[in-house]
Amino acid sequence: MTTTKHPSCRAIELDLVATATGDVESRSTDLVQRHLATCEPCREEFDRYRAVDHVARGLRTAPSAEAVASSRAGLESRLADLRQRRVAYRIFPSPLGQILIGRSEHGIALVEYLGTGTSLRASRLGRVEGVEAVAGGPELERLERDLLDYIQGRRRDLDWSLDWRLASSDFARTVLEATAAIPYGAVASYAGVARRIGRPSAVRAVAQALRWNPLPIVVPCHRVIGTSGRLTGYAGNQLGLKQRLLTTEGVKLRPAQRDFSIARDAMYALGEGETQYCLPTCGDMGTRSLARVTLFASRADAESRGLTPCTDCRPDLNPLVSAA
Amino acid sequence: MGLRPFETVVAAHHAEIYRYLARVTSRSGDADDLSQETFLRAYRAWESLNEDANVRAWLFAIATNLARNYFRSESRRRRAYAGISERRSDVDPASPEEARRFHETRTLVEAVVDGLPLKQRLAFVLRKLHDLEYDAIARSLQCSPDSARAHVFQALKKIRLGLNGHELPTMESVR
Repeated sequence: MTTTKHPSCRAIELDLVATATGDVESRSTDLVQRHLATCEPCREEFDRYRAVDHVARGLRTAPSAEAVASSRAGLESRLADLRQRRVAYRIFPSPLGQILIGRSEHGIALVEYLGTGTSLRASRLGRVEGVEAVAGGPELERLERDLLDYIQGRRRDLDWSLDWRLASSDFARTVLEATAAIPYGAVASYAGVARRIGRPSAVRAVAQALRWNPLPIVVPCHRVIGTSGRLTGYAGNQLGLKQRLLTTEGVKLRPAQRDFSIARDAMYALGEGETQYCLPTCGDMGTRSLARVTLFASRADAESRGLTPCTDCRPDLNPLVSAA
Repeated sequence: MGLRPFETVVAAHHAEIYRYLARVTSRSGDADDLSQETFLRAYRAWESLNEDANVRAWLFAIATNLARNYFRSESRRRRAYAGISERRSDVDPASPEEARRFHETRTLVEAVVDGLPLKQRLAFVLRKLHDLEYDAIARSLQCSPDSARAHVFQALKKIRLGLNGHELPTMESVR
């Protein structure tokens, strides 16, 4: 046995086993061959290791095809379930504080303000039942860049496909979709959104639905204000974020008793059901309820939605000095 | 996404990972669970995997990790030893006498392999039955490539010793 081996045999043992079992570099092969030429016991040992290796490789058994197929089918079904529930997320700092974005295979499912929190545990995503939250990769980094560009006014649309499944109800989803249709640089009122979805008396329900907007910024609930012209509320109690987002979009605001008010006289106006936008001074436009008026920060914002200048007040000939 | 779809990873590697786990656990029911868990874990981490990662070695590392956790339970370990059974092989010995000898030898080798310390057994199976590079084995076992090599060497030595006094099949009898 090993203890009775000649030192030179012991020294070569590792290389001998490696060579015999096909695990080798050429330098040690030469050493082994030279040793084998002079050592009969090691030659026998070498042959036995070769046989061992062949038998060992013979252990490459194939489990029955049915067992593999059945396991694969089980896996596919569990993967399909997981895929449905999976949300890849990324948390990053922004001028609006820490933000979490989550994307499922259907699209962006969640945008969340984390304030100063930086972990999944601090997030709403970490508490949604049934969701499998996983750390996102390069794709999420791209989305982060897009969102930061958007927040800082370097891009005006996000063009993301959205996953609406975190909307709290069908009604909420309807509200969110109507809100998503409010263009960049424009503001509408909660009452206005209620009218757009055919539920003019559901103003409070609309406000509630937006309060639980799972996709802030992307579904621009910051563009929805009170009929008084006040911003009224945002992301819990963070009016500052709303003010900042609107200002970036060119919307004119004035401070008003711990809130901000839209500077209606500095914005173009579109009456309900109309296709021509007006100066705030056109006819009764300045006094119409905001439930029936959408305001635009600039002519470009209005015209990018296919609206044309009013042929009476001619905003094209007499643009607002304070608006771009 | 820069990475290829995960479905192609399942298609390319599931059978092999299943085979590996069936070998190291000696129980196909456990291989079923463990191989599924391997891919579910891989799926969760798929998006954050480097695009140039060696996917096969990565899957083996996940599977090995799961297998090691699995064996931390001593009762399971004993069950695995008891689970040695006849297995079909794709190696066809030449004559009936050689076939018998080959069969006997393989049963003996299997018994030794299944009785090896876990790291040696995993290293041996990864190297000899799945041809993994020592770097990848080292990553799977969270050790250095030299240690991985040493584990395989020790395993071969023990198998060789386990066959002392046993007549081995001739080299010509195995393809």
